[in-house]
Amino acid sequence: MAVVDVHRFAESITCHAWSPDHSMFAFCPNNNEVHIYKSSQDHWEMLHVLEKHDQIVSGIDWSSKSNKIVTVSHDRNSYVWSLEGGEWVPTLVILRLNRAALCVQWSPKENKFAVGSGAKTVCICYYEQENNWWVSKLIRKRHESSVTNVAWHPNNVLLATTSTDGKCRVFSTFIKGVDTKDSKAGSPAESKFGEQILQLDLSYSWAFGVKWSPNGFYNTLSHFLRICNLCIGHSSMIYFVDDVGPSPLAQSVAFRDLPLRDVLFISEKMVIGVGYDSNPMIFAADDTGIWSFIKYIGEKKAESSSASYSSQFSEAFTKFYGVHDNCINSIVSLSKAGSPKVMRFSTSVRLDGKIAIWDLGNMQEEIGHQF
Amino acid sequence: MAGAGGFVEADNAEAIIARIETKSSKIESLLKQYKPVEALKTALEGSPPKTLDERCKSANWIVVHRALMAIKDIEGMLNALDVEYYDILMKYLYRGLSTGDRPTCDQCLKIHEKLTDRAGLGCILRCLTDTINTV
Repeated sequence: MAVVDVHRFAESITCHAWSPDHSMFAFCPNNNEVHIYKSSQDHWEMLHVLEKHDQIVSGIDWSSKSNKIVTVSHDRNSYVWSLEGGEWVPTLVILRLNRAALCVQWSPKENKFAVGSGAKTVCICYYEQENNWWVSKLIRKRHESSVTNVAWHPNNVLLATTSTDGKCRVFSTFIKGVDTKDSKAGSPAESKFGEQILQLDLSYSWAFGVKWSPNGFYNTLSHFLRICNLCIGHSSMIYFVDDVGPSPLAQSVAFRDLPLRDVLFISEKMVIGVGYDSNPMIFAADDTGIWSFIKYIGEKKAESSSASYSSQFSEAFTKFYGVHDNCINSIVSLSKAGSPKVMRFSTSVRLDGKIAIWDLGNMQEEIGHQF
Repeated sequence: MAGAGGFVEADNAEAIIARIETKSSKIESLLKQYKPVEALKTALEGSPPKTLDERCKSANWIVVHRALMAIKDIEGMLNALDVEYYDILMKYLYRGLSTGDRPTCDQCLKIHEKLTDRAGLGCILRCLTDTINTV
């Protein structure tokens, strides 16, 4: 088993985030508060309770370099919390939304963060030094429905979004004064804020998780970047998009079981998906670049990699070990900053209030050489 | 959205129905030769999921239904069928179940059980969430 630690923190957990050194961890117990716990020896103790929102906190992200926490909530607001003298001090960020905020992520350089909302908009917030506050710029066009997930490209300018209208879009979030025009970054010189670079009509049903692969840059000379981007649809399909640019190539993998809610790139060629099956799934690309489903992480007996249509169905029905009892709704990487591969990650489940920490270190032979 | 690229307009529907007629006669002959599996494969191939025209869909359904009811050996049939056809077959099974007709539903339920064994819940989900390519 790859599970290292399972802990039940509350009745229900909406979202979670880890501190930069992975010793502390913040989550929302399905109410308007954010609890921060610290791990000491064998147990977890509650350190702080951040209480400022009026409704459920739907997204938390903890920046690794500047140690700030950003929280967004169904009350259409967002707070950026900084640790001053042992206390977390909130700064309100006026997002100018008229619907709930659903997800948030710090950009790689941590000078911006993106918020997806039910108002069919994405807010990009950046810090204005002169006025000492966070300003929000909205991307209002294009989305036809709620934005469920956002993901920053490593170049700090491109943002991928998924929405309940079934599409995945990539926007440019270039902000004058915040992003420097760096021609080496490969982004097109004429990109302006909110310009949609690409729209991927992949799925007919709601789309959930989206992530970029770790190597955002391959070829800095080409006009558009070569990256692998993946997003998942509610119809038990996962889409891998290569070469995001004028002519993206998408591969869709239809898999046997219930849909996924969130995904994480473990390395350039391997992805872990979590969702309604309460058991993380591994997908990997072989040498020719074709992705396929490999196995579940918590499988009792060894599975051959052609896990196509054998009688895995009956095993999936018998609760294999019960780490998570319910739909896993988020997966967060716990790797050390700068390491190219993710060896540890944590998953949180809404309805059973558990957080599980998984370690892939001892699974290398089982997963195979792709890892 | 009707008439956009990929969707067939009304006048092409006649062409599709003509194709379905030829398919149907081929299937009749296959059934006479006691090859129900081949018949089903032929029926599922070239199902026109992208038409909006109800007549095409109904015409294709009649053909698929004929082949489905003739199947006796379900395991054998699923063994012979390619994996890509599982999703389409599942959609037709649900269409069969919605008819409420006793023998059709009996047959569809039997096939459904075996197909879910093989294809998993994901297949059912794709069938339910796909509102564009309906049969």
